[in-house]
Amino acid sequence: MTLIQAIDIVKVYPNGVLANDHVNLSVNQGEIHALVGENGAGKTTLMKVLYGLEHPTSGEIRLRDEPVTIHSPQDAIDLGIGMVHQNFMLVNSFTIAQNIVLGREPTNGRRLRVDFEQAIKDTEALSRQYGLYVDPLARVDTVPVGMRQRVEILKALYRGAEILILDEPTAVLTPRETEDLFDAIRQLVNAGKTVIFITHKLREVMAISDRVTVMRDARTVGTVNTAETSEAELARMMVGREVFMVVDRPPVQRGRPVLEVKNLTYINENGRTLLDNASFRVYESEILGIAGVEGNGQTELVEVLTGLLPATSGEAYVDGVPVLGAGPRRVREARVAHIPEDRLTNGVALTATINDNLIVDRYYRPPYTNSGLLNLEQIRLSGENLIRQFNILAPSGELPVASLSGGNMQKVVVARELSASPRLLIAAQPTRGVDIGAIEYIHQQLIDQRTNGLAILLVSADLQEVMKLSDRIMVMYNGQIVGIFRNTPDLSEETLGLYMLGAQRQSPEEMEQLQ
Amino acid sequence: MNPRRSLATRSGGLLVLSVLIGLLLLLAISMRVFGITASMSLDEMRGAIQAAPDYGAILLVNALIGVSMMLMIYELRWDALRVILTVAVALVFGYLMTAFFNLDAANRLSSGEFRVNVVSDVGPLVDIYYGDRPSGEFTGPDADEPLTEASYRFAGSAGDVLTIMAFAEEEDSPLDLQLTLLGPDGEAVAENLDASDEQRQEYRRQLESPGDAILENIELPADGVYTIVVRPEPQSEVQVGEFNVRLDTDAPSPIDFTYNQPIGAVFNAPNVDNPLTEASYRFLGRADDRVSVLAYVFRSNIEVDLQVELIGPDGSVLGQANDSTEEQRATFRGLLQRETDAALEGVRLPEDGIYTVRARPEPVGFGTKLSETVKATNKAYNAFLFGPLSRLNRWVTWIKDAITLIMLGLAIAIVFRAEQFSLGAEGQLYFGALVSGVIGLSFGEIPKPVLVPLALLSAATAGFLWGLLPGALKAYLGANELVSTLMLNTIAMRFYEMVLTFELQPPNAGYTASDWIPDNGLLAPIIDVSGDQVTIAVFILILIVLFAWVLIRRTPIGYEIRMIGANIKFANYGGVNTKRTIMLAMAISGAVAGLAGAHLALGIHRKLILNISLGMAFEGVVVALLARNNPLVVPFTGLLYSYLRVGAQFMERDANVSSEVVRIIQAVVILLITAEALVTFVQRRRRVRRDRLSSDIQPSERLMAAPPQPPA
Ligand SMILES: Nc1ncnc2c1ncn2[C@@H]1O[C@H](COP(=O)(O)OP(=O)(O)OP(=O)(O)O)[C@@H](O)[C@H]1O
Ligand SMILES: [Mg+2]
Repeated sequence: MTLIQAIDIVKVYPNGVLANDHVNLSVNQGEIHALVGENGAGKTTLMKVLYGLEHPTSGEIRLRDEPVTIHSPQDAIDLGIGMVHQNFMLVNSFTIAQNIVLGREPTNGRRLRVDFEQAIKDTEALSRQYGLYVDPLARVDTVPVGMRQRVEILKALYRGAEILILDEPTAVLTPRETEDLFDAIRQLVNAGKTVIFITHKLREVMAISDRVTVMRDARTVGTVNTAETSEAELARMMVGREVFMVVDRPPVQRGRPVLEVKNLTYINENGRTLLDNASFRVYESEILGIAGVEGNGQTELVEVLTGLLPATSGEAYVDGVPVLGAGPRRVREARVAHIPEDRLTNGVALTATINDNLIVDRYYRPPYTNSGLLNLEQIRLSGENLIRQFNILAPSGELPVASLSGGNMQKVVVARELSASPRLLIAAQPTRGVDIGAIEYIHQQLIDQRTNGLAILLVSADLQEVMKLSDRIMVMYNGQIVGIFRNTPDLSEETLGLYMLGAQRQSPEEMEQLQ
Repeated sequence: MNPRRSLATRSGGLLVLSVLIGLLLLLAISMRVFGITASMSLDEMRGAIQAAPDYGAILLVNALIGVSMMLMIYELRWDALRVILTVAVALVFGYLMTAFFNLDAANRLSSGEFRVNVVSDVGPLVDIYYGDRPSGEFTGPDADEPLTEASYRFAGSAGDVLTIMAFAEEEDSPLDLQLTLLGPDGEAVAENLDASDEQRQEYRRQLESPGDAILENIELPADGVYTIVVRPEPQSEVQVGEFNVRLDTDAPSPIDFTYNQPIGAVFNAPNVDNPLTEASYRFLGRADDRVSVLAYVFRSNIEVDLQVELIGPDGSVLGQANDSTEEQRATFRGLLQRETDAALEGVRLPEDGIYTVRARPEPVGFGTKLSETVKATNKAYNAFLFGPLSRLNRWVTWIKDAITLIMLGLAIAIVFRAEQFSLGAEGQLYFGALVSGVIGLSFGEIPKPVLVPLALLSAATAGFLWGLLPGALKAYLGANELVSTLMLNTIAMRFYEMVLTFELQPPNAGYTASDWIPDNGLLAPIIDVSGDQVTIAVFILILIVLFAWVLIRRTPIGYEIRMIGANIKFANYGGVNTKRTIMLAMAISGAVAGLAGAHLALGIHRKLILNISLGMAFEGVVVALLARNNPLVVPFTGLLYSYLRVGAQFMERDANVSSEVVRIIQAVVILLITAEALVTFVQRRRRVRRDRLSSDIQPSERLMAAPPQPPA
């Protein structure tokens, strides 16, 4: 039975971008419906329309065959529609239970005081019912991303959501967390809920969805039963051409060491040792991948190396030049590029134009600045070049980055960093949120540049990505480097898993051999 | 890429449009200030322009105003419409406010001083009234205009008890007076030659001479006109001398006035407990006298619309009039002036007796009330909207004010670009004014081309340093710039006052101010309208605008300022030295504010005075917000805002709108303008937040703990 239907939705943004062009989507009661499409295809826009965050220019939404108007998220919630955004909207200083009941707090009798006991009980009950494990008493800012996401889902369920929209929920999750999420989604469906699910990972589509709707260029290409399709066919529908998911990593002889890290330690202001005496090298023409469960020091390693965090002790040299202790400019002057893991915090300035975003590391150098003045023409031209080269979906480089789709923002970051002609690229989650075509392109770029001599330090939550791209893989556990491996065909995920969970570690000598 | 359409960015059409509108503005303003109308011939126009002093420079400044409008449209595009709309809405709102305060405009039609007059050829029937104290001087029979006897007619009622005295002006005068009271029939009612000793004792303050006369407690036998006759006793040797007469009684006078003697009062005087709404005056009339009854105003600023009635002795209404005709006004020239004055002409009185004239303001209908309110509001608003252009010296006031405001707006726009909420312009302005003023005052012998640039440079440096300070506090100690700049403002202000009071104020000056700055230290005037000057600050301002624009848009520092404004973490990640940029942004802004101070000292006041900023620095915030912190738009918003400020002053001066009302209207305008700027600001914020929350991004918080184990 059809539960919710979007009929002929047209959405034109104020800047004239046509984001949805007579889009149709029909979701059945009790199904898991995947929504896929390239970056900027209009998926998020369509979901925002369903959730009342954007108003369609024309078109109709039907719920159980009844036309409905949704002016605001409140309307959507009243109709039983819940949405989990990628960027969570939780109050960090509240406990999980407080967050879940926020705005609908249970009260005791006199309606004056919030009944926190009841809130905790409600949270536990809900959590048990759907197998979405959370710790009701933990403060939100102390729990991992995966749990925060479950809090968001529970929050929607607490408000009576029957239809749950998840916009790229797995982009930030580790494979393990993704599995847990899928289990929870299946339970939700068993309990009669309906789930709309956006992702760029076709593997996930095949694994969990009942049906898939594919969008391309603001239109719906079609809806297919998952059982009757394949990753390759979906990719073809999305991109309009064959996509080669396998990248070829030609063997090259690695060169001199570019990055040399010695005994790097970082202790945060609370006295926690997040990076513990790490030493390693990255060579010319080499991709060194870092594997590890998120939160084991990868983030800190990257931020210390790029000058965003001060090292507590230890040294790092790029081509023999010490780079630490003087902020990001020194690091960048040593020709280190950095794709940050969180593009919205560090990677882009939303209100600034795309062109301005593309020059933040080089604006003060010729040809961007000549004799003290910015060369606007040059900035515009090179912006246009990068937009074309990296296939960023934007009508003009003079538009603010805020008007780009999530994946296209990521492309802006990647374009800037890859075009910096670096000696070393520190890439954290380089393909987070980008579509398969773009993943293919970025991967190809990484490999090509590495083949041409670039040293790359790669951090990714996606172990398969690490294994696909890396020449060597370094495992981090608890802020320490616990193992270094040559990425040969006989290296298995299971082996890495043992190290990632801290069950095994190499001796310093073993590691030194593989440096 | 795929075939999506997008709106064109900047088109040539826009350029043409903005140039056209700019030209129109130039034309409109110039026509107004030069007093040119469309009906003039070309020669007349040229004459009108050339009649103005420094007309070339005036035209130049008007052209610059046009350019500022052009820039605003070109830069803001559709947003320009919103700026204009906001101001329009604010003006409509202000209009309604003004109308509200003018709801009583029709009051002027029913309040004010008036006169009532009964005009007759007969001339006055009486000379004095109960209580009057006439006086005169006997000059003897041989004088040029001999006065040997004085008589005074008055109206009396039967039964009234009077005391009449006649006494010499001087004490112990030899003048011996004789006092006679004649009745209506001409027969003497009473006569007295000299007061008795007891009477002289009782009335000793008046009756000081032995020859003074008194008629004490005379009861009048009948109604009618009595006559008091006073003369020196014929036998007396002394026949000349000044004398006084008193007609005292407790009884009310039977009449209030007489033919040809106007009488009047004030209708509905403001701030009076029992305002007069109707006035009745009695006069003595004789049968068959032809009279005209008039009610009129005699001061040009009073507009009460009068109505008059004549009531006979028996109480019947003999006639009524509301207005006067043109002939009547001609006949009674000097009395009737307006159509609203009332004239009841040529009435023949039916009998002897006491008549009553009743005058009152004509009742005002609702329609009149409304139209009066509209008229008054229009008048006030006309002064508000066109006041700054109505005379050249007012135009100069506007331009001077605008220059300061634009400088301050630019200063604020620069820091706001960096999202530093610095309100330090006020303090920087004081330092700029102080430093430039002191240099101007102390080095008057240095030639102008050296001294003025030196003073300006020093002012900019002072402002720069005073901005650098909170910048450093913010960058290195994390001190909130809002708080620190407000504190530093107070320090700067007090320091300025201290130096002014203890060092600069000439010892004998009546109020706190420095000497005049010698001419070499002053900005040279380019326009001089009888002492009101526009100075070369205009050109300095152009340089500052260009500087701010190049700085923000075309220099690496400007890029850094924009990037820390857009996302400071991003700027830092990209390698921007954020601390240095924060300091620079605040310091550069300070330098511009310092120049604004120098302009106040060297260009406007020409000396240092207390409170030199008049709080303008904060209005710079409105100017900057309205211009969306765009340096090319600030000149226009500064001019606009200043126009409203100055216009309000003139509204206060020209129209009878009290200063409080003007201030309320000004505040409403500011409020709306700020609200509009805030709306845009908030909308931008909200858009950003919405984009953040719904794009596919991972949160900035980093995780600390290992993934949890699901419950078994
Ligand atoms: N606020 C906005 N203003 C203007 N244009 C926008 C805005 N948000 C999105 N767009 C444009 O609308 C189009 C569709 O964006 P949308 O975010 O729906 O894409 P998406 O399918 O979710 O892409 P992604 O996979 O990258 O998240 C894009 O071209 C984007 O540039
Ligand atoms: Mg999206």
